[in-house]
Amino acid sequence: MKTNLSLLALVFALSSCTTVIETGNKIEKTFSPPDAVNYVTTKPDGGFTPQINDQRFGDKIQMLAVRKSKLASGCMQVQFDLRNGSYLGQTVNVSFEWLGADGSITERQGNWMTTPLEPGALTTITAVALKPESTECRLRVLASR
Amino acid sequence: MKNTFTALALAAILVGCDTPATYKDADGRQLVVSLDKVDIQDFATAGSTMLQSMVTSPAFNRAGANPVLQVGQITNDTGTNFDTSMLLVKITSPLVNAGRVRLLESDPVAMAARNNTPGASVPVADFVLKGKILEDRAKSGSTKQSSFVFQLTLVEVKTSLAVWQQEKIVTKQGTMNSIGF
Repeated sequence: MKTNLSLLALVFALSSCTTVIETGNKIEKTFSPPDAVNYVTTKPDGGFTPQINDQRFGDKIQMLAVRKSKLASGCMQVQFDLRNGSYLGQTVNVSFEWLGADGSITERQGNWMTTPLEPGALTTITAVALKPESTECRLRVLASR
Repeated sequence: MKNTFTALALAAILVGCDTPATYKDADGRQLVVSLDKVDIQDFATAGSTMLQSMVTSPAFNRAGANPVLQVGQITNDTGTNFDTSMLLVKITSPLVNAGRVRLLESDPVAMAARNNTPGASVPVADFVLKGKILEDRAKSGSTKQSSFVFQLTLVEVKTSLAVWQQEKIVTKQGTMNSIGF
């Protein structure tokens, strides 16, 4: 009888494990400071510069690669590969700005685009410039509460 | 007397619960998320996603420097009433302002003025943009889910062929409206 009870308790604990983790995640989000915006900016040499302001989010979402190419129209296209490296689903919100060769903002897509990411899932964010003078892209990344 | 104090205290608490109206950034994260209607941020998300897709399409890139675009019919097939220009402007305004397209106006005043202008010539549209907005609702217990489907098609005028098509679905789920994400 005692063994049966212990087994039942173990099964119950295991089956509710996900809920416990998710509840812990929600509590952590509730009590932590407001989420800061993170940035990834492309560089003329083909690389990129990350600026992580929300370390809690930065630990979960990884920037794997950034690809820059020129379209037939003469405008730039940048693709950012993001991965959810955590054990929980995350929702990534992105928007971006385009910069000219002198660093000034040439275009802006200010609204947040929401992308839910399953654990381990990869997503590619594509940003396309509308003006030929836009050379570098600054991706803004924000976590959902 | 005691009852009066209790009533006053209750009234004070209730009044204190109200949130005064404040201005919010229309592109920010503190906007109301509604389950029963398309929100302003949904139009922005759908519009910018579709714009990005359209400008990378081979047909659009083959069209030359600044093709002439005409806006066709955009049907609102949802249960709520809204002006479809909430979506269209998100697509046409960046394109026009960046000089990527010339937008053919069909405004009656502009047409009348043109008809009265000797020698005026009207460019022929290279593309027509048309579309539809639909909705789908589902419910499980107290959880409601609403999906708004934005469908756009770019038609090449000289061939009458659809050269680009995109569908963007915005799905919202919850038991009640909320603020922010």
